Amino acid sequence: MRFQLIVGLLLSLFIQVSGSTYAQRVSLQVKNTTLSDVFEQVAKQTGYVFLYDDRSFTEKKISLAVQNAPVEEVLEACLKGLPISYKIVERNILFKQDESKRSLSTAAQQPEQVTGRITDSLGNPLQGVTVMVKGTTRGATTNAAGNFQIAASSGDVLVFTLVGYQRQEVTLDGQSNLQVALKMDFSDLEEVVVIGYGRQKKEDLTASVASFRPTEENARPVLGPDQLIQGRMAGVQVSGGSGSPGTSNRVSIRGIGSLSATNEPLYVIDGIPLVNQNAALLNFGENMNPLALLNPNDIESVEVLKDAASSAIYGSRATNGVILITTKSGKANQTKFGIDAFTGMSVVPNTDKMEMADPDLYLSVINEAIDNFNTQYGYSPGVSNYMERKENPFPGEPGTDWFDLITRPANTTSVSLSFTGGTDKTSVYLSGNYLSQEGAFIDQKFTRYTGKLNLTHKLYKWLEFGANTTYSYSNNKRVPGSNLGTTMMGRSLLQRPFDRPFKPNGDYYLGGTDELIYHNPFQIINEQDISLDNYRFLGSFFGRATITEGLVFKTMVGTDLTYTLDNIYYAENHPYGTGIGVKYDNRRFTPNVLWENTLNYNKTFDKLNVDGLLGYSYQKINLSTSNIAGSGFPSPSFQQLSVAASILEAGTTVTESALMSVFGRANLAWDNKYLLSVSLRADGSSKFHPDNRWGSFPSVSAGWNISNEPFWQLIGTTAKVRASYGETGNQDGISSYAYHAQMSGGRNYDNKSGIGVSTNGNRDLTWETARQYGAGLDLSFLNGKLNVTADYFIKKTDNLLYSKPEPATSGFTSIISNIGSMENKGWEFLVNANVPLGPVLWSSDFNISFIKNRLTSLIGDEALLIGANMTLQVGQEVGSFYMYKQTGIYQSDEEVPESLYKNGVRAGDVSYEDLDGNGAINVSDRQIVGTANPDFFGGWNNSFSFKNFDLAVFFTYSYGNEIYASYRTNTDRLGSGFMNMTQRVANERWTGPGTSNTTPRAIYGNAWNTQNSSRFLEDGSYIRLRSLNLGYTLPTEVAAKLGMNRLRVYLQGDNLHLWTNYRGYDPEVTNNFDPQFIGQDNLILPQLRSFNVGVNIGF
Amino acid sequence: MYKKTTITNVLAVLMLGFLSSCTDLDFYPHTSVAPESVSERDMDALLNGMYNAVQNNQGRESYIMFDLVGGNLIGASGGSELAFIRNIMRTDYDLVNKNWSGLYQALYQVNNVLSIMADQPASEKRERMEGVAHFFRAYIYYNLVTRWGDVPLILENTTERVSRDPAAHVWQQIEADLAVALEKAPTYEGDYYYVSRQAAQALLARVLIGQNKMEAAAQAAEAVIALPTFSLDRFDKIFRHQQNREEIFSFKNLTEESTITLSRLFYTYAHDVSGSYVYKPTDAVMTLFDEGDNRKDISIATVSALNVINKYPSGQTGTDPFPVIRLAEMYLIAAEAKGLEGLPWLNQLREARNLPAIDPTTETAYQDAVALERRRELLAEGFRWYDLVRTGKAVEELEIEPYRTLFPIPDYEREVNSNLTQNDGY
Repeated sequence: MRFQLIVGLLLSLFIQVSGSTYAQRVSLQVKNTTLSDVFEQVAKQTGYVFLYDDRSFTEKKISLAVQNAPVEEVLEACLKGLPISYKIVERNILFKQDESKRSLSTAAQQPEQVTGRITDSLGNPLQGVTVMVKGTTRGATTNAAGNFQIAASSGDVLVFTLVGYQRQEVTLDGQSNLQVALKMDFSDLEEVVVIGYGRQKKEDLTASVASFRPTEENARPVLGPDQLIQGRMAGVQVSGGSGSPGTSNRVSIRGIGSLSATNEPLYVIDGIPLVNQNAALLNFGENMNPLALLNPNDIESVEVLKDAASSAIYGSRATNGVILITTKSGKANQTKFGIDAFTGMSVVPNTDKMEMADPDLYLSVINEAIDNFNTQYGYSPGVSNYMERKENPFPGEPGTDWFDLITRPANTTSVSLSFTGGTDKTSVYLSGNYLSQEGAFIDQKFTRYTGKLNLTHKLYKWLEFGANTTYSYSNNKRVPGSNLGTTMMGRSLLQRPFDRPFKPNGDYYLGGTDELIYHNPFQIINEQDISLDNYRFLGSFFGRATITEGLVFKTMVGTDLTYTLDNIYYAENHPYGTGIGVKYDNRRFTPNVLWENTLNYNKTFDKLNVDGLLGYSYQKINLSTSNIAGSGFPSPSFQQLSVAASILEAGTTVTESALMSVFGRANLAWDNKYLLSVSLRADGSSKFHPDNRWGSFPSVSAGWNISNEPFWQLIGTTAKVRASYGETGNQDGISSYAYHAQMSGGRNYDNKSGIGVSTNGNRDLTWETARQYGAGLDLSFLNGKLNVTADYFIKKTDNLLYSKPEPATSGFTSIISNIGSMENKGWEFLVNANVPLGPVLWSSDFNISFIKNRLTSLIGDEALLIGANMTLQVGQEVGSFYMYKQTGIYQSDEEVPESLYKNGVRAGDVSYEDLDGNGAINVSDRQIVGTANPDFFGGWNNSFSFKNFDLAVFFTYSYGNEIYASYRTNTDRLGSGFMNMTQRVANERWTGPGTSNTTPRAIYGNAWNTQNSSRFLEDGSYIRLRSLNLGYTLPTEVAAKLGMNRLRVYLQGDNLHLWTNYRGYDPEVTNNFDPQFIGQDNLILPQLRSFNVGVNIGF
Repeated sequence: MYKKTTITNVLAVLMLGFLSSCTDLDFYPHTSVAPESVSERDMDALLNGMYNAVQNNQGRESYIMFDLVGGNLIGASGGSELAFIRNIMRTDYDLVNKNWSGLYQALYQVNNVLSIMADQPASEKRERMEGVAHFFRAYIYYNLVTRWGDVPLILENTTERVSRDPAAHVWQQIEADLAVALEKAPTYEGDYYYVSRQAAQALLARVLIGQNKMEAAAQAAEAVIALPTFSLDRFDKIFRHQQNREEIFSFKNLTEESTITLSRLFYTYAHDVSGSYVYKPTDAVMTLFDEGDNRKDISIATVSALNVINKYPSGQTGTDPFPVIRLAEMYLIAAEAKGLEGLPWLNQLREARNLPAIDPTTETAYQDAVALERRRELLAEGFRWYDLVRTGKAVEELEIEPYRTLFPIPDYEREVNSNLTQNDGY
């Protein structure tokens, strides 16, 4: 239906156009006829199409007689004396109001060119100040030197505005050169923030929305917008992943929102809700960040909708919060060309914390472990179980620092170009970025190219079209992360210190043999060919029509197309190359298409301001994948599967899901004092059974600007109170067909296709629903020099989606179910101070959040064990560590209980608390020993500006969270296996009564001491000097001599220092993003420390 | 011409067109069908799916579990054999948990096939499929009962929190299933990668000796030996993928269909086919074979000074078929179950393996000789531990605590099903 319509329309246009020939000459004889009739005749004769901005002038009547005259002549005659000019563009004739003609015709006072210079109160020129002639649309903008030029007449009022400065008006009194100094405005109430499907003045906000604008001064060398907001907002916790380029981060808004897989917020870029998916297909130990495909320089602002009042408009996907990312757009009458570039170096920090034992220390501990083993079990030489002592095959020679050999200082280079321009009708933002970021391991590298075009054009006063498009390509050469058999960290740090990577003849020493206990990390890196390519097109096309005053209709088609190509090639010499070469080729195409229509109504009736929204959207997500693996390649230079001797596996999948939604909102404000906002969204999701497919998500919030009341006497102080309630949902983490019971194919035998039950389905499945209550207070003192925002919230989540463990006797070990409820409560504080210290302006932003999580109900109220060392228990936090509790070290054999002694426990071994007192240490002795959730966390940014210098010092911190250092079950084995150990544990080991009450003895073949227990649980509190930026802007005159408007050079340091008691590399360890597994350190590559130098240039 | 109202009208019409089409919320998977829609046409696929499930779900270590805890294999890094066994027989050991859950997941598929068959019209095909399904159920329960003793007996799929049934009931059920398989399973037609009633007969012999029902076991085993279909064959043919007359039922275990990558557990990275060298033969196994025994080089090898199991030759390059039942086991069952009287069976097997005949005089010496032959013949095929348990030698031979003659019920399972009791001692 719709296709015929479009095709038909296009065809008729085409036929009409191509069917006419364009006669250039016209014959006419009219008397007292309206111009519109004249034009109609001209159109008939010539085939020209007449287009008007405003066709009122065509009512004018004229008399005219011409024979075979040029069209131009006729038009001139018609328009004589009218303030109208025309233009012939191909076969169109466009009419336009002509300002110059108008002034001639009205013979009004002729404006003169007024020039001026605008500075701040210290005399520094201000760029980008908008200068308007009050009551007209005439405007100009200041350049980098603060100068402007505008046509104005004496008596006109010029209005100067700039964000961050107080608005100022100057009445012209014959001057032609103005000097204006703008005063700083610390109050941000006039600031406009982006909200779901719209914008709102901060003063009118009734919900909790956090906003961050990246600037040159606070820039960090990050890949994605999620990293950008780390530490910047109260209630938003961004935990860094590993130090590998392109790795993903964990973002948690107002605590753990759900139990299902990702727990990540919904990202909406320029109105398009994204699908949260790992940017990689093949498991290489770490998830890759899909947001790394964006160029941070393109980001205008990032807004986080924290409470349900603001996020309920996104309905069934909003429980974990919504992050709105708005990209830059062109501005009318401003033309800017910019270059932003930096280069730098990154290193692995804090390597001293993981100093491994040297050959002598290693051997002394290992042989002590072997002696203890032989002695304890009474084995003597000749008995089959007797262990021989180990020797250094290269005695007297220095050991190998494996980690140092395999890592390097890594280079990063980024270059961005951008162009911003616009006229009254058209605005353009165009940018391109190249980024090359090396990883700390040799061969590890991320490369990215992005291009962006944002364009809007006003066709008529009432009709506007536009497009926002981003294209990006990235290539990531990865190395294996933790949890893989080829983990680079584990395969370097844990090697025996006397072993070497290469034989004298250049061959690899082989892992898993007597030569080397683990895979040779050089063999892993050199013999693999890895490449993860992502191509992404993110774009929307929209039209906006003003139907009547205040009523705007917008329709938008948005697409997010991602194509991923993930290849791993293990050459024949790779440990996994099986001697013949193996190739994995996985591909994925994810078209995510959205069609959205909104109707906005904005009108002020006396004191009542109404802002209404009505919308409909349909979003369809298709996912198709293919995976092929093959082996048997003639030589490492052959890498394509067409030459593989055999195909190991091959498959393709297609899945589809869709979400249909209707939503609406009304924001009411009475006299800027009383604010009310109500919203409702109804979502229908294909992921659920038709009977429970639809859900509705309402919200209501109210605010009171007390300081706008007449009784408010405190000048320079403003206050607002807010309260809200809302409901949101979450359907993340369940598959597209979770409600269907399925017999799946692919279960073949003997090359014949087979089927079997793959899931029982769960027809009762429905989304998680969160009910959120919030209250907040915004205070501003001393004309905005001190601003405080405080928020309190309660978030109750019901119908938690979870892959619930089932007894295997049911045929499945888990089933996705709605299993329980939980609650998050929290306080958030944001303090902003702007303190002029003489010539220095100090601006400080401090935020802190206290969030407490509690599981309030579970099916059957029985505790669920999650993974090896976490639990879900009613009344406890999600993220509770559940394991044995170490009470100390047995100092003598007599202290060891009889039941344990007979199992081989001796003096020097760990003593665990026997909770049930049954003499044995078993599952029932596990207990909650800590939590991965912090008591509080936040960030503190300080920026200083002095003359041409700017300095920003930014800290992030977290307090009270514990980390389970699971890597220590390997590094702290003390001779239970032959991997290397940290110097620390070797030096702290128990060697006799009183030597240690925390670290056990060295003993071979002992699993007792390395069981999951509080022995490996550590305090993960920290303060990090996240970044330090020092910039210098060259004086305008100097820049001008270089042909630039503006030149800023800067030094930037990232992750410069870490204050923590945590004994591993870095307490910010998030290998697994599942909230039930957070806070476990599996020895991932820590976040790197980087030093960068860069420039910002404006032309 | 292009009036606001015109454009608005056109847009509005376009909108309505879009709107009417953008409402679809019903999507169905493209790789699966609903169970109730399975029809007669899908029966072959269902059968193949069942083979795949029983082969794969139990996990690769399941096939060698009794070698791991029976003193035949040890961790490749060496150490104490007893510590190695104790480490596996832990309530929270992942391998044990996976073995338990994998066997029950396979059982679920088998029971599902049986319940679908019950709804199909009677036919020869249905008969044969039921026969195969009953064989697999017996095979699965044999694996369960020998490991854990009392186990939940589930003949129809259920999501209930089940309790354990006495081992005796389980054995009874296994025999009952085999009786059905003997009646309904297809006749052997030369392809030992498919279940046959002959395979059911052979499994019955194993099940009977597993309960120390010596007389019946001997009868069942001799019945298989008597079949003209099978005969002892060259050892290298069996373990080097060549067609032979000895295998009765084996899983084909094709690389692209299998998760049973057993072979890579055994070879080292220094070996041609390369492997992760997780388990190696114990010292006792390395001295097990006499000179001239044609099983030796096929069973074990030493590559660059490292001892390896050599029965499954693919290493990392692929997977190997796994023999579930072969004729040699029938000779050994007959020999053992008949006592000294069975000596000819033992010597016939020895002859086939290029070993001289022996002539033990006492029952003890004879049974020791049979046990030794069994250990040699069935090395790394999943027999040793239960052989020691059923003959009462496990505690002495392996120096294990008496309670370790049963595996622990996995913690994971007990945590989601409080009706499951733990075996004593754990």
